[in-house]
Amino acid sequence: MRKLPVKTHGIPLRGVQRVISLALLANEWESGLQFMVLVDSIGDAGILEQLVDGGLKNIVVCVPYHLDWHSHIMPTVACDTRALELHDVVVLNLEKQELLVVYRNSDMHHAIQLTNRCNSFCLMCSQPPTTHDDQWLIDEALLVAAHINDSPSAIGLSGGEPLLLGPRLREVIDAYATRLPSTRIEILTNGRLLADEVLATHLLTGISDKVSWLVPLYGHADFLHDFVVQSVGAFEQTIGGLLTLQSYGQAIQLRIVLIEPTLRVLPELCRFIGRNLPFVREVALMGCEPIGFALANRDACKTDLADWHAELIEAANALRRANVPYIFMNTPLCALPQSLWAHAHQSISDWKRSFREECSICVVKTNCSGLFSWHNHNWTPTVIKAIDGKACNEEVH
Amino acid sequence: MFFPFYARRLPDSHFLAVSRSGDYVFLGEEDLHKLTTAPQELELDRLAELQSKFFLGSPTRQGSLRLLASKLLAKRETILNGPSLHLIVLTLQCAHTCRYCQVSRSLGSLGHSMEPATLAAACEMIFESPSKSITVEFQGGDTLLRFDLIKFAIEKITERNLQEKRHLRFVVSSTLHQLDERMCDFFKQHNVYLSTSIDGPARLHNKNRPTPTRDSYERTINGINMARDLISPDVVSALMTTTRDSLLIPEEIVDEYVHLGFREIFLRPLSVYGFARRNFEHLGYSLSEFSLFYERAFEHILQINREGGDFREVMASVFLNKILSPFDGGFVDLQSPTGAGLAALAYNYDGFVYPSDEARMLAEMGDTSFRLGAIGETLDALLNSEVQQNLIRASTSPRIPGCDQCAYNSYCGPDPISAKNQAGDIFAAVHLTDHCRRNMWLFDFLFMKLHQQEKWFLDLAFQWANPTPEREFCCA
Ligand code: SF4
Ligand code: SF4
Repeated sequence: MRKLPVKTHGIPLRGVQRVISLALLANEWESGLQFMVLVDSIGDAGILEQLVDGGLKNIVVCVPYHLDWHSHIMPTVACDTRALELHDVVVLNLEKQELLVVYRNSDMHHAIQLTNRCNSFCLMCSQPPTTHDDQWLIDEALLVAAHINDSPSAIGLSGGEPLLLGPRLREVIDAYATRLPSTRIEILTNGRLLADEVLATHLLTGISDKVSWLVPLYGHADFLHDFVVQSVGAFEQTIGGLLTLQSYGQAIQLRIVLIEPTLRVLPELCRFIGRNLPFVREVALMGCEPIGFALANRDACKTDLADWHAELIEAANALRRANVPYIFMNTPLCALPQSLWAHAHQSISDWKRSFREECSICVVKTNCSGLFSWHNHNWTPTVIKAIDGKACNEEVH
Repeated sequence: MFFPFYARRLPDSHFLAVSRSGDYVFLGEEDLHKLTTAPQELELDRLAELQSKFFLGSPTRQGSLRLLASKLLAKRETILNGPSLHLIVLTLQCAHTCRYCQVSRSLGSLGHSMEPATLAAACEMIFESPSKSITVEFQGGDTLLRFDLIKFAIEKITERNLQEKRHLRFVVSSTLHQLDERMCDFFKQHNVYLSTSIDGPARLHNKNRPTPTRDSYERTINGINMARDLISPDVVSALMTTTRDSLLIPEEIVDEYVHLGFREIFLRPLSVYGFARRNFEHLGYSLSEFSLFYERAFEHILQINREGGDFREVMASVFLNKILSPFDGGFVDLQSPTGAGLAALAYNYDGFVYPSDEARMLAEMGDTSFRLGAIGETLDALLNSEVQQNLIRASTSPRIPGCDQCAYNSYCGPDPISAKNQAGDIFAAVHLTDHCRRNMWLFDFLFMKLHQQEKWFLDLAFQWANPTPEREFCCA
């Protein structure tokens, strides 16, 4: 999530706001929403102050640091306003004097975090879970839905583990489905709690057909999967959850993060999927992010994909034979055998994405996912090596 | 804890084990022993594999048990969803005097066609099946001799389907000798597929299928061309029957199909019914003779694919579907309990309903013991009839001595109707039946191929294994 240092003045509570310009305000103002109006001149600030003085309640003004502006009646945020875009949905964290951009329309990928809690402890978790009660995140997510001003093609609801919200997850899903009727809603979950029939019935009966479920699977036997997610019994629950989703006709993407324990069994795992879970819409094979728990579990998580090409190809063969579509995510092209390039997606969110110096002379850069920016401080999925036109052709022949 | 499974030593002396879910492994004698005595001593990768293939499990593994149950249910889909293949035998009249033919009668013979009122009742009865997709196949005799009846039935069924909204498919099985423009128009308009017979090159075909003018092959080819021109390029499929004369020319037969523009061939062994039974010395052959023929043809087909062609063998596809695919291809002949009755029904010109094409042929030979009831009775009555219940009892492979210990019993089961024909008893000892011996041989053959792990062959095998709903598996 993008974070921005801010100085606030006269703002009592943490809150969700839609970033907007003075010109757009008249059109978009609604009583239930909060607006953060970008202003870059004293004159405009004055106009806004008059409106607030006249009784317009739900307004915060946002000014660049250099604008020497103070108001006694209008809540104010000062920050580097160039880092904001119109219709960003932001949250102000007053304690830390931080502004979080939780939604930006121009991003390719959108995700809303519903909780920090989780019932698994995956070896490579990029966002290690906490145990505090964070129900307020649910209310905030509902507010974020209301503040989004357009319908992106897809939005992710993630955690932590969203199913820990219990029945309230349905409330959040419905809020997004109503507010963003043409948006695909992707729920990132380990699926374990869907093995519980009561909860599953509540969550899934009559659910919007825009919803799909992104569920990780790390092994074809319980002891394999349970080891990776560090939770006994998880495999059986996830399998049960997947069958429940199938029985409700839900779209499922299975996710496999490519770390040593999964790569070792990848071909057999993919054969298992082909035989037993052929109803999934696709399988995503994902490079591991060197962040969070992955750093602590370096032995298992630090891999050079170049050492695993045979397994990757065999796994892809298994899925292709079973007619299960598959994609590679977070895997730069130079980490994959060329025969799999066509399945690689540019999956890394814009603000997380970076390239190396080598990449500037690489002929496939425009099709490449690039690297997570945090790869810069840690290991990379393979030794990054520019593809030159000649090598590229040679491999084809 | 290990789940029940059966192992088999293949002719190449490797061990194959198949679990209840239909998942298989090749394994050495030592692992096989460990699996049943001390699974915890198995190497971890092997243990994971066997667990994921339902050889090992535990009652506490709830998710896996649900998975197993849903897999078993998916395998039984074809027989649980109601009859989907409905054969209507319109007439026995035919201009041919085929050497192996079953049952047909000469053109002049009367009383060998279905009465319109009976046909109308059959058309209604079809819709009693709860199946969402319904294939109606017209059989003869030579059906086009009674185009009037075909037209009557298709119009009637189509009209009723306006309300029923089933996924409907028509197939007319015929020599195509009488095909004309008017028929083509009608077939095009109603999305009708045509199924014909080609036994191989002209000399073989004409020998097998004599007509007074000795031009059966040429006239069928003319029919195929006309249908492709006037209806659509892939409207016709063809079936072949292997006779003694075929055995020496497998490659030529395959090439004939390729040359005629077909994308598949069904290398069918002769069903020993009808006149074929009397002619057995001239036409028949042993399983080992057939398997040599089949294996040569099969290798030739593989070669065609290796060279970039796209051509499949249907019988292998059906078996590979059972072995490799989680989706049942719906082949009526390889179900347990048998698909006869549960998945397919034959409405015969004589006014009775039989559980399969073979059963109505037996009736023609004088054995009417498979009659389920009369056209016009309720489907319920037919499926609850004693005949049908006996068919089910005689074909539920886990309960049949012989099948119960067979490694292939999650893919296969006895065929009581051919058992009756061959040995006079639907409960005949299964290992002595042609059906069982042939199936066992073909499973062995394909598993040995799969075991070789040739990447190219695996790709092809999985491609063939995927169910193709538009394919018609029944016999002409
Ligand atoms: S060198 Fe850079 S641009 Fe080229 S494939 Fe590798 S990561 Fe992508
Ligand atoms: S019919 Fe034969 S091959 Fe088929 S299951 Fe029974 S014993 Fe096995």
